[in-house]
Amino acid sequence: MTVATDIDEAVWGARAEGVAALERELGRMRRSMGAHAKEQGVPVARASVLNLVVFATRDTHARRAAATVDELATRHPSRAIVVLADRRREGTAASLEMHCHLSHPSGAQQVSYEQILIRARGDADQRLASAVIPLLLPDLPVFLWWTETPPLDAAYFDELLRLADRLIVDSGDFARPDRTLPRLHAVAQSGHGRYGLTDFNWTRITPWRELVSQFFDVPAWRPFLDGITGVRVGFSVDADGREVHPSQALLLIGWLASRLGWHAVESLAPSEAGGLLFAMERADGTEIQTRVRPRYMRGIDEGNLSGLRIQATDGARQAQFVVKRVEDSSHASATVSIDGVTVAQRLVPLGKPGVSELLGEELTIARSDAIYEDALAALVALA
Amino acid sequence: MTVAPPLANPLRAGPRIARTPQPCALVIFGATGDLTARKIVPALYNLALQRLLPAAFVVVGAARQALSSEAFRASLHADLVQFSRTKPINEDVWASFAEHVQYVSTQDAAGYDTLRETLAELDARAGTNGNRLFYLATPPSAYGPIIDLLKEHRLTEDVNARVVVEKPFGHDQASATELSQKLQDVFTEDEIFRIDHYLGKETVQNILVLRFANGIFEPIWNRQYVDHVQITVAESLGIEERGAYYEQAGALRDIVQNHLLQLVALVGMEPPVSFDAKSVRDEKLKVLRAIRPITEDETENHVVRGQYGSGFIEGAPARAYREEDGIKSDSATETFLAIRAYIDNWRWEGTPFYLRTGKRLPKRTTEIAIQFRAAPHAVFSREAAEGMEPNALVLRIQPDEGISLKFGAKVPVQGIRIRSVNMDFVYGASFMVDAPDAYETLILDALRGDATLFTRQDEVEQQWRFVDPIARAWSDSHRDPPIYPAGTWGPTEADLLMARDGRTWRKP
Repeated sequence: MTVATDIDEAVWGARAEGVAALERELGRMRRSMGAHAKEQGVPVARASVLNLVVFATRDTHARRAAATVDELATRHPSRAIVVLADRRREGTAASLEMHCHLSHPSGAQQVSYEQILIRARGDADQRLASAVIPLLLPDLPVFLWWTETPPLDAAYFDELLRLADRLIVDSGDFARPDRTLPRLHAVAQSGHGRYGLTDFNWTRITPWRELVSQFFDVPAWRPFLDGITGVRVGFSVDADGREVHPSQALLLIGWLASRLGWHAVESLAPSEAGGLLFAMERADGTEIQTRVRPRYMRGIDEGNLSGLRIQATDGARQAQFVVKRVEDSSHASATVSIDGVTVAQRLVPLGKPGVSELLGEELTIARSDAIYEDALAALVALA
Repeated sequence: MTVAPPLANPLRAGPRIARTPQPCALVIFGATGDLTARKIVPALYNLALQRLLPAAFVVVGAARQALSSEAFRASLHADLVQFSRTKPINEDVWASFAEHVQYVSTQDAAGYDTLRETLAELDARAGTNGNRLFYLATPPSAYGPIIDLLKEHRLTEDVNARVVVEKPFGHDQASATELSQKLQDVFTEDEIFRIDHYLGKETVQNILVLRFANGIFEPIWNRQYVDHVQITVAESLGIEERGAYYEQAGALRDIVQNHLLQLVALVGMEPPVSFDAKSVRDEKLKVLRAIRPITEDETENHVVRGQYGSGFIEGAPARAYREEDGIKSDSATETFLAIRAYIDNWRWEGTPFYLRTGKRLPKRTTEIAIQFRAAPHAVFSREAAEGMEPNALVLRIQPDEGISLKFGAKVPVQGIRIRSVNMDFVYGASFMVDAPDAYETLILDALRGDATLFTRQDEVEQQWRFVDPIARAWSDSHRDPPIYPAGTWGPTEADLLMARDGRTWRKP
């Protein structure tokens, strides 16, 4: 039986009938690449360090993920299995189709990586895991990268998750992060001892957390950390204010609240267009006004943090700690003023990490980040 | 020297944001010198780029020259453009960093009072809170006078002060002890950070991880399974601009006394109780003490030296050592050394460590090779096993950092034919992050007060104790070292040293 294919074989490689045929084809490609390399005097190492399973329901997502893996493979050779499940096609007979290709990432003569596409059609959800399992390289960690909001209650999500050592999501893609983030906490909880959870959006705010932490390493400023009275976090939106993704801002608030032992008094309430306003309470009972507000800023992806302002008192002294993204650049200024006088100011690079850098950073950290889970837990309390 | 410990920072938790040091003022003596330009300032700038510097951080350059802070900053910028490992320079970040850079002239002793006042003023204004790191980036002859002046002008009183010292730590054991005593006049040993930049290299630290984070290597890491160890530190460069220094030092003091013996210590040491400064350095010292001394009389049997003549490096003609600038035409300084050393302890008794280092060797490479004993019994016919070599575990320190294991495998043909193959771990290909530069690692550690990767006084002295008799044997002999052509692996005498034991040097 032949199935009409809409697969771009230039991208995904030749079609293979079944796992055995696919492995044979990859073996053949490896040998021919090895022979070619031998002529040039460079040995090819098949230095796989992980299995990466990408789940996408849209072709564009799948291609974007494939391009990322391609970039990644230069320094982190892996076997990538892209599952493209177009679940919208009603009435199509359920079927799976496999393609594979092997390539040298550009600039890396010594490593090769393997990419496999599993194209699922129709109602094939319950077949996905059975197609993925035999393709995983043994004894290597499995990273499952879900390119959209994970269907937390779906059986096929759970089946794929069972294979994984790490679930990767990007809460920047979540349509309603104020609802999804707290639910992600349940996913993280259920993953304990089984898999770790990574959120690219959490990785993106690491520089901001670093800068805030560094303020309070300075002994002279440290007392203000116990006297915070207000926090304002800005995040970027498009000019029309339509693309509203406050999850980075929420994570930052959740992080501060969990680290500093704040409690929610008033739950999240929408304020001005897309913004959120809520009240929290310090351990000593003092109220903290917390505001998340959207802001249009040139040259920044929607959802990225635009600024942060912490107001605090220490006895009679008042201080402001401000981290502010510089428009049209990848820098932020970090400023401290006490009683209205600027006492320190510096400019620091924030970087503009692409998905492959974010993933690379995640690979240096084994397992979950408990600090992230705490931040999610704080958001649960706010929801 | 008492300052109340700072309150803990609850934000500083988790795997991602743990390594920024406390607020600090870094004072660089020799601020107009080569080391500042090539290593220190590029390292600081790159730390700033990675957001690893504390929020309150200032740099005060000190040198004899009369110079304004503006002129100092401008010259640092020019150096940075030339020497930074990341380019182009991020001007915005540099400008912000440079705002916290000042210069104080120490032309006369009064300069030290200015320095003290400047630092006190910065403590109040910039929040550096009495934390000081004094970096001696001067020629060693200036160490003593600077330490005296620091004391005399009370720069280390009532503050948290540490000092970073660059090698050479003396030129023999006596002078090293003298230097340590000088430093300890003002600083406690805990506050003294002696930089051996080799220890800052990722792959050198990885020796300890390979050995002590894995269960499979340690059981065979001893005389029962290891035939011998080869350590090679090869450079293709000549002496460049360092003629005057090198003429005094030679390969023995320049490389063997510090880098090579430190590598021996890391390969040979017993497992430390934990990865902290005291435990690691205690174990290193123990193994350094166990290295069998080579007396003057035995030097000839165990040590080969050489000096490069003219030759070719990567196809280009290279001058002989004696024709280099600043070198006497009858110089007897060695530029190559091969040593057969033994570690007299339970683990290594009778297992030779072959060490070699040289300038103008065919390529730049540093590697440690653990050569294992051959399989005890020949199961396969001699014919089949012809292509077999003993197993070797090779730790490549630079370039192409990595680890490879050589083992025998059957060639896929009918019948048995065995060939050696390499199983390679390439450091750069397995982790996506760039390895940090050694100076960045070490400066950050010094700012944080972590001395694990720095050499302690007793280690330094023990290293000199090994090296001194060899140096004496040569200076007493009044003979010239054998000449080897530039671009070769040293004099034939070095090969004979191995051949006598029925072994050969690896070709790294």
